[in-house]
Amino acid sequence: MIGFLLLIVLIGLTIGGRQKVTWPERFIKDAVGFVQQIVYRPAGAVAGFFQDIANLKEVYKENEELRKLAAAYARDKVEYNFVKSENERLKEELEFKQHQKEMNDYKYMIAQVISVNNDANNRTININLGSKHGVEKDMAVVTSDGLVGLVKSVSPFTASITPYTELSATTTTFNAISATVMGKESDSFGILSDYNTEQERILMTKIGENDPMAEGDVVITSGLGNIYPRGLRVGEIESLKVGDFGLTYVATVKPFVDLNKLTEVFVVSAPQQQNNEIEETES
Amino acid sequence: MSMNRIVLLMLAIFVLEGSLVPWLIPSSYSDRIFSHFIFVIVIFSALYGSRYQALFLGMSFGLLQDIIYYGHVIGPHFFFMGLLGYLVGIILERKKTTLLLAISVVGFACLAYDSALYFVYYIFKITNATYPWSLIHYILPSLFLQLAFTLCAYVPLRKMFEKRMKNADSSDEI
Repeated sequence: MIGFLLLIVLIGLTIGGRQKVTWPERFIKDAVGFVQQIVYRPAGAVAGFFQDIANLKEVYKENEELRKLAAAYARDKVEYNFVKSENERLKEELEFKQHQKEMNDYKYMIAQVISVNNDANNRTININLGSKHGVEKDMAVVTSDGLVGLVKSVSPFTASITPYTELSATTTTFNAISATVMGKESDSFGILSDYNTEQERILMTKIGENDPMAEGDVVITSGLGNIYPRGLRVGEIESLKVGDFGLTYVATVKPFVDLNKLTEVFVVSAPQQQNNEIEETES
Repeated sequence: MSMNRIVLLMLAIFVLEGSLVPWLIPSSYSDRIFSHFIFVIVIFSALYGSRYQALFLGMSFGLLQDIIYYGHVIGPHFFFMGLLGYLVGIILERKKTTLLLAISVVGFACLAYDSALYFVYYIFKITNATYPWSLIHYILPSLFLQLAFTLCAYVPLRKMFEKRMKNADSSDEI
């Protein structure tokens, strides 16, 4: 009975959005993380080797496709450079402040996965970067395919990621992410608020009635809360239907990233607003 | 085998469980099969050791898991690993447990463990899956992995805990 009360108290204390974890937790996490890192990477390398052999046949085809893609990128790059320089010139003329200019200048930190949880309802992933490397709570984590999740807790040398499978509108343990679709960034808006475990799809809610998004569109983060970076690919809209109350639409989003057997991820850090700069402008 | 060695071995298995085992499970099943080797060892310590030992091991390794993979809450693993180890200990501590009985006990304990975890997460609205779906989707497939592990590790684990109990008994008599 006392044990049961203890369980309830522990859960109650730890369920909310705790800003920081206590030092014994940090210490234990770092100690175990250090050892696990030694095992996970070689295991991944060996598994990857066999995977490579299995994929050998498809490499040729993939190479051809990649070549086409590279050519397309080269064309786009020229366009991009023009637009970028133009944009910079306009910003200069409009007298943007330094932090406004740097607002979307994200830094990508590469991190190795060191372990994954064996609990079906809490698929936490640990990585080998921590607060000593500049990782902070609520930073977004991506792979080259798209969004993986958000940093949940940080210790000096490791960090825990809560993947998108833990998105839930009913708990306080995961924040919702504002999103839009690629190509219609300024017209579309939705909130990635829930994950349907049974269908393995992310649910995007609060989509406006006249929203131009359609099935097959690529969902990206909008960065509108200024907490999560903008422009991270999340998934593809699979179906779009009227929500529970008939006022807004709900979309099911098929995520791009497969959470199984991740090896490398990127932690995206948004530039912090510099305090000294604000003081400068005030004085 | 001394207690230190048992704890050290379990720590090693704990580390491998998070880092090596995910690589051994085929991609298509990696969200369906989850290993609970530490829990199986806790059940063994209840069967062939003592119930207090199982309670201690279960609680400490459950807490370790809760802390290292802190995602939503701290507590469920800590509580249920200890509790189930203790309950199994009360029922079957130091009876003559055969292989078949051990396997069935481990099987039922794993079912109870996964179900208990599911209901804790369900009550706190962390998961929105239904119980029948969870049962089919991951609880039963994982059960097979645990049973296979039990079969493989039965002899060494049993020896380990029985030796430890014998040592403890003889030192008590002295």
